[in-house]
Amino acid sequence: MSVSAFTERIRSLAQHHDTAASEDAYAALRRHGFSAFERLSIPTPRHEEWKYTNVTSIFDGTLVIGATDAAQRPATSGAEITRALGADVIVLHVQNGRLQQDEHSVIEGVDLYDLRAGATTDDLQFLASIAKVDDHPFVALNTAVHDSTVVIHLHRNVHLERPIHVVCSADTTTSTQLHAPRVLVVAESGSSALIVESHHTVGEHAAVCVPVTEVVVQAGAHLQHVKIVADEGQGKHVGYTAATVARDATYASHVACLAGAFTRNDLVVQLIEPSASAILNGVSVLHGSEMADNHTVVDHRAPHCRSEELYKGVYDDRSVGVFNGKIFVQPHAQKTEAYQSSHALLLSDRARMNAKPQLEIWADDVKCSHGATTGQLNEEAVFYMQARGIDRAAAKALMTYAFAAEVVERFPHEGLRSLLEQHIAQKLEVSR
Amino acid sequence: MTPILEITNLHASIDGNEILKGINLTIQPGEVHAVMGPNGSGKSTLASVLAGREEYTVTEGTVVFHGHDLLDMSPEDRAREGLFLAFQYPVEIPGVSTANFLKSAVNAQRAHRGLSPLEPAEFLALMKERMALVEMNPAFLQRSLNEGFSGGEKKRNEIFQMAMLEPTLAILDETDSGLDIDALRIVANGVNAQRTPHNGMIVITHYQRLLNYIVPDVVHVLWNGRIVRTGGKDLALTLEERGYDWIKTESSVEA
Repeated sequence: MSVSAFTERIRSLAQHHDTAASEDAYAALRRHGFSAFERLSIPTPRHEEWKYTNVTSIFDGTLVIGATDAAQRPATSGAEITRALGADVIVLHVQNGRLQQDEHSVIEGVDLYDLRAGATTDDLQFLASIAKVDDHPFVALNTAVHDSTVVIHLHRNVHLERPIHVVCSADTTTSTQLHAPRVLVVAESGSSALIVESHHTVGEHAAVCVPVTEVVVQAGAHLQHVKIVADEGQGKHVGYTAATVARDATYASHVACLAGAFTRNDLVVQLIEPSASAILNGVSVLHGSEMADNHTVVDHRAPHCRSEELYKGVYDDRSVGVFNGKIFVQPHAQKTEAYQSSHALLLSDRARMNAKPQLEIWADDVKCSHGATTGQLNEEAVFYMQARGIDRAAAKALMTYAFAAEVVERFPHEGLRSLLEQHIAQKLEVSR
Repeated sequence: MTPILEITNLHASIDGNEILKGINLTIQPGEVHAVMGPNGSGKSTLASVLAGREEYTVTEGTVVFHGHDLLDMSPEDRAREGLFLAFQYPVEIPGVSTANFLKSAVNAQRAHRGLSPLEPAEFLALMKERMALVEMNPAFLQRSLNEGFSGGEKKRNEIFQMAMLEPTLAILDETDSGLDIDALRIVANGVNAQRTPHNGMIVITHYQRLLNYIVPDVVHVLWNGRIVRTGGKDLALTLEERGYDWIKTESSVEA
């Protein structure tokens, strides 16, 4: 069994780690990760949260674990996103799990640095405070094996005009790779920024990425967070993002899965103080045997909060989509507004979609709605376009593109939107 | 003079039921033919078969369009060759703007004829000019095609699209249905503005009302899958007065 071989590898790493242990807080956190992972292990499809997405097949005992110091090749797909974000973009390269920057830099009121063993900054308090190590197998795994944490800390009332691009890539030219990028974003009160996180691989060997991103949005701050998985290479992705949103603050998540053999995104947003709001947008455009699974949780823990979620997916050939959207409204979260919709378009008889909205509402004065649809292109509309001289394939591509573009239009940054639109248009042409 | 359209002994069925049972109809350049008849007589089937709907099977007969075999062409090629169907129920297409849709349609037709795509400014000016024919607000160009349009707006949009594509044969399938008298007048004016000595039209309608505005050269009555009577525009008035029953009776006697 490959999973047991993998778990055995992690166990031996833990023992090695124990003997080299120090009293450092970071070392303690990592030990916590090891013990939690030993207990939780790689989930099987018998586990409700992993029912449609069998991760056991991708964790192989032969995966090389952790950061390496070998020379790395950059991913061209990452550079393309960087260019789309404009000349003033701030780029942070995380290669095979390690930030390619040693010095602690401060740009326009934003601290950017690598938080690692031995460090003693105030940001340590946030680490693993939002993504709970004991609750999730891949938060535990990331915590156990990650190298260090990329910290993006926006100071009070800083409105960062320059977008930040966190490029997570792995080079598997010489060997397989399990890499565990870890990002912590702290947006102090009244601050705002756009952070774009993208994931890439180059090289012929298998790569598995288990990233964890924690986001702290303090009172009145506005954070736009884009995550792009567009891996044309060997990479597989099992990612976890968690955010807490305080009073009058907004966290907007935009997730695009435009390529990738295996993508799982867990997104957990907690609205912890009154009048916090969350926006969750997601778009997947897949073909071949690609797979994307989006599990989202919006937890309304305070009154007068608002969340709005829209996920759409286009699936051709034998591709598979999963959407599981949970909304919790806690008993005292009165006057909550929570809206969720998920729509899937199947372009082939062999494509599959599993959608599961899940609302748990414990307060009585709330406005909540959800809607999930899975369907095919309207044949009457295709004929209508043909009757105007548009050929059948072009008619279908135009309608499919329009379906996906509705979500992309909600993404921030014009340059980024046009890049994503271009990718989607190209992909729909290619898959036809 | 070569006819625009020549239908000979056309038989068509859907799910094994024969709906058209031997239609003969020839349209010369410059002619407007009205096709009338009671519900279920085959009027919309005729429109669908000419436009190329796949659900219908042609079991017998020929249709020659500008000297070419129409039945051999895909729906998109029929459109590019100059056939236009104004739908009885125009379809809503979310996310595709009217402007984008028309750009695709017009440029597909131009490419088919070996012409280069229109420049954006040129295209916009043309759209605005043609919208004015049916008194449509240019704001509709940016809205999703037909989405949330009223019945009248949808029908005006059909005639606007016709004006953009400049067909040599337009088939108007119950374009008057669901229109109030003002909208009917606007739509009819838009159609009349497009009558030339070179193109032809088939106006399918249940009522004579539309024909007060779009005056036909020839009126056909379709009953039970056949054209049972052909006359001038006065035939429409007779039908309005006497209904369809006398035709049904006479044609059953003939049959």
